[in-house]
Amino acid sequence: MNPLLTPELGTYVWSLVIFMTVLFVLRKYAWNPLLDFLEEREKDIAESLKMAESAKTDLEKIKDESEKILNEAKKEGKAIVGDSKLRAEESATKILNDAKAKSNEFLDDAKSKIEIEKKRAIKEIKEEVVDLSLELATKVLQRNVKDDDNSKFIKSSLEAVKVDEAKS
Amino acid sequence: MFIAEKVGKEWTMDQAPQYAIDHVANSKKNIVEFEFLNSLSDKISNFFGISSESLFYIDLGITKHVFLLFFVSLIVVSTIVTLIQGYISHKKNIPNKFMSIIEMFVIYLKDDVLKNFIGDKEYRSWAPLVYTIFFFVLFGNVLGLIPIFDLTGLIGKIGYKADVLGKENILYLLSKGGHTVTANVNVTFAIATITFVAFIAAGIQKYGFVQHWKNLAPSGLPWPLYFVVVPIEFMGLFIRPLALTLRLAGNMMGGHIALIIFITFIFSATAELGGLAGFGIAPFSISLALGLTMLELLVAVIQAYVFALLTAVFIGMAIHVDH
Repeated sequence: MNPLLTPELGTYVWSLVIFMTVLFVLRKYAWNPLLDFLEEREKDIAESLKMAESAKTDLEKIKDESEKILNEAKKEGKAIVGDSKLRAEESATKILNDAKAKSNEFLDDAKSKIEIEKKRAIKEIKEEVVDLSLELATKVLQRNVKDDDNSKFIKSSLEAVKVDEAKS
Repeated sequence: MFIAEKVGKEWTMDQAPQYAIDHVANSKKNIVEFEFLNSLSDKISNFFGISSESLFYIDLGITKHVFLLFFVSLIVVSTIVTLIQGYISHKKNIPNKFMSIIEMFVIYLKDDVLKNFIGDKEYRSWAPLVYTIFFFVLFGNVLGLIPIFDLTGLIGKIGYKADVLGKENILYLLSKGGHTVTANVNVTFAIATITFVAFIAAGIQKYGFVQHWKNLAPSGLPWPLYFVVVPIEFMGLFIRPLALTLRLAGNMMGGHIALIIFITFIFSATAELGGLAGFGIAPFSISLALGLTMLELLVAVIQAYVFALLTAVFIGMAIHVDH
């Protein structure tokens, strides 16, 4: 018989015994602990992936919210700035107008005062002129009083002055 | 030439096939004698009524392959238990190189073979068997490729005295080749027997004893067909482990025989044509042997995988009858 195919029941029995022993030992000390370990690790990985996923969605939510808040704040800020600008402009124009009005008032006041002063000055000048003319007239009169024409002229001039005075 | 003369005296070309077969075969006698094993063999054989001259005499003596079975199982157990215990006791640790290889195989077998063929829930109870078959066969195959014990034989040859290792020394007895336990049909048949028992047990566990055997043939066929289908399925049941046995043993045997034949080209050429021819053919012969060894490494892994895969497939077939 070919030695490669001889039945050796002893070897067969030994193989069974040895293989079963190896199976028993490896099952207890290698495969079951390793499979438990791998399962646990798989579970851990799945869990952490899930956690990462939820953290991601949370982060997105927070991001959205913060963006919303930021946008609102921006809007509000814009509104505030616009409002204050408007108000500032308003108050500026008001101040300007007030100032203009006041200056106009001053101007008018000054003008009227000047006018009064002017009138008074004119009046004073006129009085001075009357006085001077009277003086002049008396001086002239003292010399030519006899002359009728002169006296008539003086009288009419005086009348005119009086009329002027009444007019002004 | 000296070498040619020496080889010519010890070697003739027609010796090569027998030499190759002897290299792969188990030793004819025990390499270590244990008296209690011999008496146990007698007792068991007598119990079954087998005479000591019979071919089926249960000889429990430690032959070379039995010794190597112990050797392989020792290495498998120590390597795998050490690596896995070291790995899982430090949860944060990264697996080292060897552990990564083991983990790669374990995860691959788990996800692509066990869960696929046996099922997501049921796989757990059969996983240790499939893993053990894979690694036991793998270590047996690969250790057969490493000529550790041929080196021990060499010690005897190069010693200052030719008889440093006597003819009865265990190292000398181990040195004459035959280191691949998985090339022995008895060993592979034993593992196939375990597969056989496993897939029948899986079916019985799932469906109960009667229903499991009813599952052998699909129901709903016209009754005359059962006379054809049942015998075929029943034969198939026994052909499966036989196919497993011969596939693995044949592959390992064939590779080693071819390897030895390639090497004997050198001796044959030297003996028949002289020393120069021997030197001439050596590079050719050795490169062939080298290439074949590379191929054998591949075959060692593939055959271990096929054995484990088919075990898972058969168990799956017994559990999922519908497909």
